[in-house]
Amino acid sequence: MFAFPGILVLHAIGMGFAVGVSAALDLRILGVAARIPLAEMRRFLPFLWAGFWLNAASGVLLLIGYPTKALTNPVFYLKLTLIAVAMVLLLRISRSAFAAEGITATPDRDLPPRLRTLAIASLVCWAGAITAGRLLAYTYTRLTQLH
Amino acid sequence: MHDFQVWLVTTIYKHSPVADLMRTAWAWPIAESLHFLGLCLLVGAIGTFDLRLLGIARKVPIVAVHRFIPWGLAGFAINILTGTLFIFTEPDQYIYNPSFHFKLLFMTIGGLNAATFYLTSYRRIFGPNAPLDAPKRAKVIAAISLCAWIGVITGGRLLTFYRPAPCDGRQTSLLLACQP
Repeated sequence: MFAFPGILVLHAIGMGFAVGVSAALDLRILGVAARIPLAEMRRFLPFLWAGFWLNAASGVLLLIGYPTKALTNPVFYLKLTLIAVAMVLLLRISRSAFAAEGITATPDRDLPPRLRTLAIASLVCWAGAITAGRLLAYTYTRLTQLH
Repeated sequence: MHDFQVWLVTTIYKHSPVADLMRTAWAWPIAESLHFLGLCLLVGAIGTFDLRLLGIARKVPIVAVHRFIPWGLAGFAINILTGTLFIFTEPDQYIYNPSFHFKLLFMTIGGLNAATFYLTSYRRIFGPNAPLDAPKRAKVIAAISLCAWIGVITGGRLLTFYRPAPCDGRQTSLLLACQP
């Protein structure tokens, strides 16, 4: 049983980096730390992806550990949907914010207004995904397949 | 220390103003969700700054990335608040929990480490002629910071697996890690 707590720990650390770096990028788009050239934020993205893949892997292991608990709970599908939407938003934000190589010093007023909307949507999705994930511990109806 | 722990748990149980609220169906899960959101803000802001000190995005002035820090402190404040709600509801589950003791230890290391950064490196990094590459000492501090916060997360996430078992209260360890 040492493995299960260890995987939960990795899942929490991965969340911190995936959501944390994504939120930092969103906040930068919304005007926080405005002196960082937006395109330079891409340097932190590998840590976001490391957290994401760590959580994809640890999440699959947790699912293998208690498949019935998650798969019978609608909140689990809500969590996965919110994560999927957050990742699509991240890709769209990345395309828009990092696309133009060389114009790293684009003033914020020249950013497409759509980018701010995407950043806010990203923050909302992550908050929803985390809340849904936390609620999994309280909303499951079956832990194992025993009837 | 053992007497202090017992006194703390007893006092909180007797006077806690929030226990009834926290025992309603939704309060605890909502506070937990906020605790996780605060965690992400903290790692996203402080972790990003640490990574910058360590050399990520080295073309960006360090002072520019430092603007994220208030958001990390906001995350920390959310977590102190929600964490206090948990302790004020189930004090024995934390005060006697070895995992919580380690969490506090890592929090203390993180705090003293941050204080060391501002006392020793602040002027060199944020003053005029600030270097783009952080001095070695600041890099060591950044690495310790990342490890300390990962330690805090680990101690927090493992709390439920180290729930204190009943005991006779005559442990020899520095801190009581069972329920007398």
